[in-house]
Amino acid sequence: MFQYYFLLGLRSLRRNPALTALLVLTLAVGVAASIATLTILHVMSGDPIPLKSDRLFVPNLDNGPLAGYQPGDDPNDEQLSWRDVRNFLDSKVGERRTALYGVAAPVESERADLGVFSARGEATSADFFPMFDAPFRHGRPWSALEDRSAAPVIVLTSQLAARLYGDESPVGRQLRLGGNAYQVIGVLDKWTIVPRFHRIVGVNGGAFGDEPEYYLPLTTSLQRQLGRNGSSGCTSDPGPGFQAFVDSECTWLQFWFEMASSRDRSSLQSYLDSYAAEQRKLGRLQRHAPNKLYNVREWLEFQKVVGNDNKLSAWLAFGFLLLCLVNTIGLLLAKFSVRAPEVGIRRALGASRRDIFYQFLLESTVVGLAGGLLGLLLAFGALALIAMQSKELTAIAHMDWIMLLSTFALAVAAAIAAGLLPTWRACQVTPALQLKSQ
Amino acid sequence: MAHPILSALWRNKTGPLLVATQVALSLAILANALYIVQVRQAVSARPSGVAHEQQVFHVEVRRMGVGTSQDEIAQLHRETATLRAVAGVQSAAGTTQAPLNRMGNYGGLTTDRKQLVSQANTTNYSVADSVIQTWELKLVAGRDFLPDEYVDIDVRTSTDAARVAIVTQALARKLFPGVDNVVGKTIYNGTGATTRAMQIVGVIERLQTPAGQIDERGEFSTILPARLTGYGGGYYTVRAEPGQRDRVMKEVETALRAASPTPLIVRTKSMEEYRIERYRADTAMAWMLVTVSVLLLLITASGIVGMASLWVTQRRKQIGVRRALGARRVDILRYFLAENFMITSAGVVAGVLLGLGLNQLLVSQLEMTRLPAGYLVTGAVLLWLLGVGAVYGPAWRAASISPATATRSA
Repeated sequence: MFQYYFLLGLRSLRRNPALTALLVLTLAVGVAASIATLTILHVMSGDPIPLKSDRLFVPNLDNGPLAGYQPGDDPNDEQLSWRDVRNFLDSKVGERRTALYGVAAPVESERADLGVFSARGEATSADFFPMFDAPFRHGRPWSALEDRSAAPVIVLTSQLAARLYGDESPVGRQLRLGGNAYQVIGVLDKWTIVPRFHRIVGVNGGAFGDEPEYYLPLTTSLQRQLGRNGSSGCTSDPGPGFQAFVDSECTWLQFWFEMASSRDRSSLQSYLDSYAAEQRKLGRLQRHAPNKLYNVREWLEFQKVVGNDNKLSAWLAFGFLLLCLVNTIGLLLAKFSVRAPEVGIRRALGASRRDIFYQFLLESTVVGLAGGLLGLLLAFGALALIAMQSKELTAIAHMDWIMLLSTFALAVAAAIAAGLLPTWRACQVTPALQLKSQ
Repeated sequence: MAHPILSALWRNKTGPLLVATQVALSLAILANALYIVQVRQAVSARPSGVAHEQQVFHVEVRRMGVGTSQDEIAQLHRETATLRAVAGVQSAAGTTQAPLNRMGNYGGLTTDRKQLVSQANTTNYSVADSVIQTWELKLVAGRDFLPDEYVDIDVRTSTDAARVAIVTQALARKLFPGVDNVVGKTIYNGTGATTRAMQIVGVIERLQTPAGQIDERGEFSTILPARLTGYGGGYYTVRAEPGQRDRVMKEVETALRAASPTPLIVRTKSMEEYRIERYRADTAMAWMLVTVSVLLLLITASGIVGMASLWVTQRRKQIGVRRALGARRVDILRYFLAENFMITSAGVVAGVLLGLGLNQLLVSQLEMTRLPAGYLVTGAVLLWLLGVGAVYGPAWRAASISPATATRSA
């Protein structure tokens, strides 16, 4: 019976082409709009590191000046000073610890045709690679020992390696960066993380900005005073020079703790509190503000990775879908109402109300499927349009299997929901009345 | 006239209810969407203070290493001279940042050393030459910097700072509320006893910050006469002759590279590009809202056409009877138009309430501002017109039904 009703449904699509086209189009447009915005929301709010997101933590201390501070005010900054970062790195708390900041320096290529170009990277510590599961194509990350000795080593991303050296492995080659030589010890594999959560504060494009092109040890870049590329906050004049800035209370580094499990959060919190108490004895952190911890999801939330505009678009799209649904109900009512004589005959010949209900609901489903198919095409088109807007959006506007299936599910569910009232109305037909007027 | 229509509607509520719901939803979304579009448009249309922006572009130069302060000052002068020598360049100046380029230095200002909290957060344009000339900023009080006021500061070793400053009108008002003439007043960079004092020598009408914040802070700018060295590079802003910008941009790059004995990284970007990038999200949002609004109206119109056609089909016989009993075509037409007007009006009333509710939700959840009544009125008028326009076709077809229909069965 299912098959037969399904075929009937397909056939009835042809019965009133203008009405059917309008029905399918309305549904498709509504579904496409909501799926396109939902896809973006889904990708933006995705968990970038599902296995570890609840045990990676960003610590936040408030090292702002006490003068003019009211309890409950926002903390001075979301980044940390080198003083605190150095102490955290030395602390042995948790499984791994890493700090990072952005650098930018001119790269001198051995290839004459490339000349010099500016490349952005990140200065970080050895734990960065295992902590964030960075995949290596060639070579290795640097070791804690190389961190301590401020070794002149560098890890390249696959893009920068390909640009500089082509297909061959550059491990062991020397690369000149900002006027200094570095030994290439590793090349990362393609490493796409959306949202890019490691360093969001002060990055152009935020969590959807460009991937850094190389990584080098924090200690090395501090020693060589490599140019910073990112935001920093100073509440007092740090004095002249790079070293004075590094030693000051200026905040410019991003820090991450990796704990063995999410249950270790309280022990990390108590470490942070006792650390802050200790620093207070040295005359720092006089604001006595609460010391905060954020896991990956909380950090993304706090950094407003999903902006208000994205939420607004999604709400709007669903409002629009609702309107399309109301329209579909009306159109289905129109479509079914002209079939009252047919229902009358079927009922007179012994079909139960249930049968009629089943038949008309399947017909709505067919409309839903057609709308879903067209909606999918429109959604792909809409996403392509959105991706063209900017580089950041290109990383976000792509559809995965979950969204693909959701599109169909949404379209069919919407059609069935819209079909309920017209179907019910169709079942109310009194056979005798219909037969009489024939 | 109204009574028979109402009682007919009452007999068959579902269809009219659906149409009214559509009108209400459309109006609620439309009014809010139009308002957001207008807000975004207003934000991205704010003037930066730079006159004739389409003539202005910026040049970023990076050198291989960082030289001594003297070297860098010499390079600054050489590069500025090279820029000015390019045909079609009207003016060029060294600066640390530019409006809307989204990279800038910000700091707190006070008007008294005893103050604990800074009074305003300003952005600092450290300039090597007169940007008042290059950007054609409008000086409303005081004067531009004198040549001997420019100081050389090496950020690696020097604690020196500029002693004079030019501020924007917005910043002057924030720092000295109620004071008419701030020229000659002293301001301090930061808080505490050791902060540097600067004397205001001029006030400009407007200069946006590199971030271009959407509130008053977007115009809290200070210009300082200071040539900063120690970065291993330079940043220049250039005004080209009208219509020459794109050519000049290319030639400037070549000229700078040719004039340098060592390899240089030179990048140019027009102010227009910076503006587009700064407001990209707002523009995209506005376009999306406009697209959705148009689709919204189309869907609603199609819904009205569809339902009205259905009613006309269902009432063929009644219309025929009415016509046979003496109703003119215009009566039938008027009937359907009046019916539609009533349904649309019910939808509009519900839509105004729904729109206010939706706006309330946006205000509380997404940091938006309250919807002015004008948008609801505009939206309502638009939907009334749409309703009449959409129903006109089916109503005309109804009016064309021949009285003879009444005599035929079924």
